[in-house]
Amino acid sequence: MILYVNHTRRDAAAATANEVVATVLSLLEEGHLEPSQFARLRIDLDWVQYKQNFREAVMVTRESSEGAGRASVMELHIDSRQVAAGSLRESLQCAFSSLNPENQCEPARTYLEEFRSFRSSIAWDFNRLYWHRLKDWEQASGKSYEAALPGGKSEAHDPGAIADSVADFWTLLKDLEGQSQLPPELFILEIGVGMGTRAGLWLDRFRALDQKRGTNFYPRVRFLLGDYSQATLDRSRPALREHLDLCSFIVLDALDPIKTLSFLRHKILHIHLTNVYDNLPDEELVRRDGRIYWLQVRAYLSAADAARISSECGVANQELPKIINRLLEIGPECLADRALGVTFWQEVWKAVRLEERLVDADSLPSSSYPEGLDASNLENMLRDAPSDLRFHLSTGALESFRNTLPLLHPRGYLQVQDIFVTNLGDYRMGFHGPGKLDGSIVNWVNGVLLREVAERFGYDLHFAPFHYRPGSRASVLYTTRRE
Amino acid sequence: MNLPILPTTVVGSYSMPGWLERLKTEYFARRISRHDLDEVHDAVTKAAIKDEEAAGLDIITDGELRRDNMIDYFVEKLPGVQIDRSSKKFYYDFYDSEVVGKLPAASLGLVEDFRFLKSFTEREAKVCVTGPHSLVKRIRNKHYPSEAAFAADIARVMNLELKELVKVGARYIQIDEPYYSGFPEDLDWGVEVLNTLVDGVEAKTAVHICYGNRYGKPSWEGSYRYLFPRILKAKVKQLTLEFARRGGEDLDLFREFAPPFELGVGVIDVKTQAVETPDVVAERIRKALEVMPAEKLFILPDCGCFHLPRAVAFAKLRAMVEGTRQVRKELGS
Repeated sequence: MILYVNHTRRDAAAATANEVVATVLSLLEEGHLEPSQFARLRIDLDWVQYKQNFREAVMVTRESSEGAGRASVMELHIDSRQVAAGSLRESLQCAFSSLNPENQCEPARTYLEEFRSFRSSIAWDFNRLYWHRLKDWEQASGKSYEAALPGGKSEAHDPGAIADSVADFWTLLKDLEGQSQLPPELFILEIGVGMGTRAGLWLDRFRALDQKRGTNFYPRVRFLLGDYSQATLDRSRPALREHLDLCSFIVLDALDPIKTLSFLRHKILHIHLTNVYDNLPDEELVRRDGRIYWLQVRAYLSAADAARISSECGVANQELPKIINRLLEIGPECLADRALGVTFWQEVWKAVRLEERLVDADSLPSSSYPEGLDASNLENMLRDAPSDLRFHLSTGALESFRNTLPLLHPRGYLQVQDIFVTNLGDYRMGFHGPGKLDGSIVNWVNGVLLREVAERFGYDLHFAPFHYRPGSRASVLYTTRRE
Repeated sequence: MNLPILPTTVVGSYSMPGWLERLKTEYFARRISRHDLDEVHDAVTKAAIKDEEAAGLDIITDGELRRDNMIDYFVEKLPGVQIDRSSKKFYYDFYDSEVVGKLPAASLGLVEDFRFLKSFTEREAKVCVTGPHSLVKRIRNKHYPSEAAFAADIARVMNLELKELVKVGARYIQIDEPYYSGFPEDLDWGVEVLNTLVDGVEAKTAVHICYGNRYGKPSWEGSYRYLFPRILKAKVKQLTLEFARRGGEDLDLFREFAPPFELGVGVIDVKTQAVETPDVVAERIRKALEVMPAEKLFILPDCGCFHLPRAVAFAKLRAMVEGTRQVRKELGS
């Protein structure tokens, strides 16, 4: 057995690690675990920082089928944060008994889908519903989504960050003007606009700087605000009331901005996104003993949660999967009482967990890789990475990134403020998602992979720590043209 | 061979397959030999030649698939240029290179490339070379008093090679100078150097000037107005320019300045994978015909097809040929 301690929380790491080793050894001695299973067992001890997440305290992840001529992978993931005092032995015993289908220790779960890649899991339908019906969620919870963010407000609005961003852009314009290459219209795009606060503050600041320096760039600015929700765009207008003549509000899919904005190919001088990539569909890969595995998931409700929700919302237990599908199709109107429908939505979301299994990448078609990524990108990225690794593919971020770059003017640049993993070793030093953030999903973004892919598109990527707020875990990705 | 009116050709490069990119990179990682890579290059060059023929082009190239990029193929061959061979991680990266002494005259190997091309096609064949102005932008100059002097010496060495090409039958030679668009202030000496390069070269010489195609995207934006009137001093027979992606507004410059050159008009946007229809191509040609007689027009993509997937590149060339045929028919040809 190998135990990986992936966090160093003083209040949990040592105690849980000791208890895990002692408990597994005693379960082995008592015959709850076969010696052959013990020999290939890998235990990961995590600290899941998201209070709401998709994990049980103890979760088993196995290979979907026995590998030819080799022992299949078997992993236990333990969330130190969730393990209740005195419960570990029972949880581990239950996990080991689940290896035998005829010897289940917990009542049957209510499954909401078959095993699949996380990027196509029903979890993302919940995420989409949240953004489309944000108002319903906020009314029921009594707080705005920004108030639900860690720290209670968005880092996108930081005045220091905005001032620097404006100064960088003004410098670019001045430089282009000096070379007689300043375009007549100065296009800027912000994707994922929130309440429009950042865009409003940015334009206020830019106008002030432009006036102070007498450059007269401001009237030539064309500021595009893109979001996939018309409701969100409408909510952002008041914050931009002083600049409406320069603004366009455009419904677009963050995964494919070029589709909507193809008429601006090679025209946009500055593109900005804050906390968009961490909320785009994602999936994970695992490297174990030199082999690559895809991680597949299956969403479920525990028997206890299913019974509770069923009783509280007046939905028959066996009807739950059907009503949940209806919720994801039409929203809280899935129940006759709309307010109860919102409660149902919030309770189901809180309760949804994901089972995991590993599928040997060699058994899947190469088309499983997201567009823009191929085996050679992956090979390059993993060349210097730790041999045993579980990491995000950041599928949605990658797709968005490659479908945004063609919009950039030859001298234009992209800035993305988000939570990035910039060193693959960090994946072994903490949990990087998925977690639940209010009604949405949050995932760290694999910056190493983005950097590898960007090079093939002619850009170098750089990551600067977001130093404007002490303790922030965000970084700012920015592109420079690769010669 | 008699060419039809509105002859069709390519700017130079054909689609670079992903598997060849990986093999080239493997070579730099010392995982395959030069001999094996040369054999792969021969095979893929034959395939490119046959694709260009099958697309129906009147003048074809070897597809330039032996080249890692438009600079390094020449940097490697220019005698006296020192290269840091460890400076490439990916095959498409530029070498870190410098010149530390006067360039001696030597063969650049283009004659062998041309012979190879001619041995596999009966069609008219074109050789494309990167021009001195572009080359000096990527080679650190540690010897010559100025970029202009360095470029002039490159032109002197390459001029000998172009004359050798003519001796073995090359009739179409294209000089690629995209960096003019990034450094318009260099144009006066750039044209002088260009004239040194083509001096005494008895072939149809063209200069191709675009806005860059590095990684399949433009390196600069602007208007071709910067070329005029200084480009009129160039002693080439043809200007080859991009108009498909940028729109045809700059065609008016040909009305305004009535240059003596033929025009190679770009009618295929190589920076998008969307395939033009023959009708769109025909419309672009008709627009060019408003400022230039058909006898002085050549039909090309905006730039090389290097970054396009093979199926897309082939479909675009087919559309270009078909659209050209439509216009020829309208002209009674």
